[in-house]
Amino acid sequence: MEKKPKKIGVYICHCGGNISDYVDVEKVRQSVEGEDIVFIAKTTMFACSDANQRDMVEDIKANDLDGVIVASCSPKLHLLTFRNVSVRADLNKYTYVHANIREQASWAHSDNKAGATEKAIHLVKAAIAKSRYAEALETNKVKAIKAVAVVGAGVAGMKAALSLSEKDCEVLLIEKEPFVGGRVAQWDAIAGTKESGKEMVKRLYDEVIKRSNITIMTNSEVIENKGSVGNIALKIRKIPRYINTSDFKPEELKKAVSVCPVEVSDEFSFGLTKRKAIYESEPGEYPQIPVVDMKNCTRCGACEKVCKAVDFSEKEEIVEFAVGSVLMATGFDPYTPAQGEYGYGESSKVVTLGQFKQMVADQNGKLMHNGKQVKNIAYIYCVGSRQTEGENTYCSRNCCTATIFSAITAKQKFTDINNYHFNRGIRSYGKQEIMYADSLRQGDIYLQGNDDNLPEVIVNGNKTSVKVNDILTAGKEVEVDADLVVLVTGMVPRADHSVGTLFKLPKGRDKFYTEVHMKLRPVETAIDGVTIAGTCQGPKNIAESVNSALAASTKAYSILSKGELETDPQIARIDAEKCTWCGACEEACPFDAILKVEKDGKTVAEINNTVCKGCGMCAPVCEPDAVNLIAYSSEMITSMIDALA
Amino acid sequence: MGDINKQTAKILVFSTEKISDPAIDMAGLLKLHYPPTVYTISVPCSSGIKPSWIMHAYEKGFDGVFIAADGSDCVYGETCTEKTGKLVGKTHNLMKEKEIDPARLRMAAMCSVCSESFVKQMRSFNEYLLKTLHA
Amino acid sequence: MKEAIKNITYDALVIGAGIAGGEAALNLANNGYKVLLVDKELSVGGKMIMLSKVFPTLDCAACITTPKVSEISRHPNITIFTGSEVSNIRKISENEFTAKVTKHPRYVHVEDCTACQMCENACPVNVRDQYQFGLIGRKAAFIPFSICSPKAAAIDIDNCTLCGACEKACPTNCIDFTMEEEILNLHIKTVVVATGFKLFDAENMPRYGYGVYKNVITALQMERELAPTRPYNTILRPGDGKVPDKIAYVLCVGSRDASVGNPICSQICCMYSIKQAQLLMGALPMADVTIYYINIRSFGKGFEEFYQQAKGMGVNFVKGKIGKISEKEDGNLILRYEDINEGKLQEAEHDMVILSTGVLPNTGIEKFFENQTLSLDPFHFVGQTDALLSPAKTSIDGVFVAGTAIGPMDIPDTILSAGAASSEAISYLVEHP
Repeated sequence: MEKKPKKIGVYICHCGGNISDYVDVEKVRQSVEGEDIVFIAKTTMFACSDANQRDMVEDIKANDLDGVIVASCSPKLHLLTFRNVSVRADLNKYTYVHANIREQASWAHSDNKAGATEKAIHLVKAAIAKSRYAEALETNKVKAIKAVAVVGAGVAGMKAALSLSEKDCEVLLIEKEPFVGGRVAQWDAIAGTKESGKEMVKRLYDEVIKRSNITIMTNSEVIENKGSVGNIALKIRKIPRYINTSDFKPEELKKAVSVCPVEVSDEFSFGLTKRKAIYESEPGEYPQIPVVDMKNCTRCGACEKVCKAVDFSEKEEIVEFAVGSVLMATGFDPYTPAQGEYGYGESSKVVTLGQFKQMVADQNGKLMHNGKQVKNIAYIYCVGSRQTEGENTYCSRNCCTATIFSAITAKQKFTDINNYHFNRGIRSYGKQEIMYADSLRQGDIYLQGNDDNLPEVIVNGNKTSVKVNDILTAGKEVEVDADLVVLVTGMVPRADHSVGTLFKLPKGRDKFYTEVHMKLRPVETAIDGVTIAGTCQGPKNIAESVNSALAASTKAYSILSKGELETDPQIARIDAEKCTWCGACEEACPFDAILKVEKDGKTVAEINNTVCKGCGMCAPVCEPDAVNLIAYSSEMITSMIDALA
Repeated sequence: MGDINKQTAKILVFSTEKISDPAIDMAGLLKLHYPPTVYTISVPCSSGIKPSWIMHAYEKGFDGVFIAADGSDCVYGETCTEKTGKLVGKTHNLMKEKEIDPARLRMAAMCSVCSESFVKQMRSFNEYLLKTLHA
Repeated sequence: MKEAIKNITYDALVIGAGIAGGEAALNLANNGYKVLLVDKELSVGGKMIMLSKVFPTLDCAACITTPKVSEISRHPNITIFTGSEVSNIRKISENEFTAKVTKHPRYVHVEDCTACQMCENACPVNVRDQYQFGLIGRKAAFIPFSICSPKAAAIDIDNCTLCGACEKACPTNCIDFTMEEEILNLHIKTVVVATGFKLFDAENMPRYGYGVYKNVITALQMERELAPTRPYNTILRPGDGKVPDKIAYVLCVGSRDASVGNPICSQICCMYSIKQAQLLMGALPMADVTIYYINIRSFGKGFEEFYQQAKGMGVNFVKGKIGKISEKEDGNLILRYEDINEGKLQEAEHDMVILSTGVLPNTGIEKFFENQTLSLDPFHFVGQTDALLSPAKTSIDGVFVAGTAIGPMDIPDTILSAGAASSEAISYLVEHP
């Protein structure tokens, strides 16, 4: 296939020892320098360093190379880096081939240096085989729609929406719940600010509705996603509120709420209060428009009779939108303790931190619980986090400070309470440390257990106590008779992750959505055009969520701001001579990218270049073997196998 | 030192760029060891692997071929699992024709963080292949 | 005779070319804005470029930093001034700032220097190398460090004897002692402050003997010993070159300690110490590593798991604050501490002690600004006017802050913070064309 033999350069990276401590890089170099197309073979301390990149450009230009190979770390880190080096040396970027001899050789086989070296040699030889067939490809340019769908209208989502709006980007802000504000809307006092959570949400919401380029959709869910970065077609299901806002009389509505016979536990107050199936927004819930919760409504019609605005004829709508990229800010769920976990569900004195914060906000004078005054409060930390038995091995990051802050707030409001913190090492990192010092100063008592010495809640009739062997006092057993036990529940990934599944977002070991690289690309995902922000990626406090939201909005904007995008040309190709049009490829293609066309009097398959995503599903089903993926052709793969064998 | 390699089977792994290859990378990052005669060729999606490639590997002396499939995480659609299954079935038939033990082709779905599972699979596959081919 | 002062114009000024400033500059530049990136050091890359590996993934720091540095240096929209300082920033209208940039002479023409090191070899002067944190020496004509950018020599004029040996040795005639300080007038529309942090000076804690006992070093010095481009090419204790086998880490040195004026937690020391402990266990399999701590704060993504991994590898964790360190004749060190678990005073002997020093603000940043006040927080970090909802906003509209100039933070948080600052700066530029 090649007329003039190719000339390539091979660079083998020491990675400052990460590779060369286990792989004899010089031996690798010597083993490949004799290959026919290899014109230059060098080792380098850091292939990715600026100096070496410059050397590569010079080598390519001085020796008129047709392509280069770098054998270094995973291509996930630096494939793009070296493609760009090729481009700077006036080569087509697809002539570049990468060999992974770090993650898949030196590190994986650090127990066997000879084996690691042998494997690295084979991997580089396979890369040379691949390079033989690597061709210059032209990217297709597609128009990028300068609009972003932000999924989730909590603090992170609203902040991202505002930031994009400021940059003249259209924003579609989609919230599954009838109200915006996410978890923060549920909170009153918040650490680090005088503003309450509800006020914070109102400030953001007021700003969001002021902006003409943000379309906000509550009670709405993405149900379908087609296309790819630059042009993503979304279908959104919008559930009606069943309230006609144009004919809206507040007194009538109050009546409608009062006649509704259905009572359900109100999640907004952490289940401390009940609400009806038709309900008005609480302060802090926006938009301030009532809603009928059809999941619990019995359709008895009582509300309709007293309130004209109630309108059951409103229909579910499916709305279609096209956006250039999607920013996920779907948040977290608070961990729900298991029945019996630290007395949860067994003693009415055991509540969660969310419930406790709500109690402190709601009450004045004396702190009461179940009709009794609360004096001793025992906080049990790390409930659902840092589990030694259980899946959530991670630290939820925000709970130590949130708890200390709540304890301080409670003590300031109800001066006669005593706070006992059953912790596993306080993690009030950074400036939050000051709050910990304040809490010690106000007389809070800290008792510490550890991984194999966790506190125990003892429920005995009316008495509930918490016991631990306190390592701060040489393991002395301490028992506190508690009027209230507050379980400091951590953050867990949303139980309903259907929207993530829809976009195929990969999850990490902690089951939160995961980024491409924690430091290099912290808000991008493996799915092109989908960024993540806030706590759907892992536990964060408000400021950290906002930072990630702003960072994600910058990334989303950067992708779209130029108005066009390059698409990957590594797609399927049909050999029209071999093709006999049986339709198997058309059937296999999940993207409808295969067209049936007449060519030179013969019916054959043809690839629609802008629709094909290069998955290759059409290739193995073709009986006459007429389909190949560009950059993964049979010739190329079999010659790579030859090199590895 | 060189002798160590003789004790391990030669396995060709087809991984996928977005899903299973990151898991194999992470195995390296976590220094979870597996036989160094396991070689990986990464493709966009496991449902795009041609049976002829697998057969070529046996011809060239590979003891086993392992498909680290996308499974339900596939970014190209949920039909991936079924299609990968089909191509494995097709390959098994070809293997039978050539009197190759069908157990020399294995497939398992690997998510992007399934590093430990990958390493376990490699170790057990290696043991099986050594037992049946090199005993 | 000095030439007339040159005027230069950019969209954005980014002060500090560490990872925060670099990331912010890239985000701005990738959206078409012209950026001037200024750093007072001779290389971009800040502190991260000096590190060994990074937690919790153990990626090598250079593998992450160098390609970013390379991208920054090559970006057509980014101009870099190293060895330069910013002052007299004045806001003259809604989207217009002026500032003065002082370029200190490097006495080397960077574009002609090939980093061949012949000047280094020729130079007769030996001084402590600040880029290796004093572990070894360097010359007065020197290349700052092996992966620095720009990769070019510089003359340390304070220590130079003007003997002229380097000039004679230089094959490209790039050394030029006639270079003078250059002052430029700068016009910009927005400013990002990414001036980073400094570390607590362990000499301010005399009871730990830093600077007196040779085998007491700081974690940043150990970082260099562990780095791929390390000075000794192995781990050893500086006192006598012995390979240590009983190593102690002392956490919270200069952090969480009101008595030295820094009551806050430095947020990164637990994790970098655990990381170094893991790396030491890898490099010196026979060594014992003990970490003396108050609380282990492994709060970030994957951090708790990393801490558990260190325990699994056999790193000893002892809950106790070190009272005093004393030195034995053989250079070994006796640590007196209160063992919290045992509830009594204990002593332990180690042959090398590493002080995990805390993060302090770089002071004097507010003095860059002339007609408006850049507010600071109570700990002298750059103040945030809306810390939770607009973490990058400062008291001056149009001036944003990124990274550890705000307070202690780790690398992932720094990158996000830089993302936020550049986001605010881009919005500001769009809204104030």
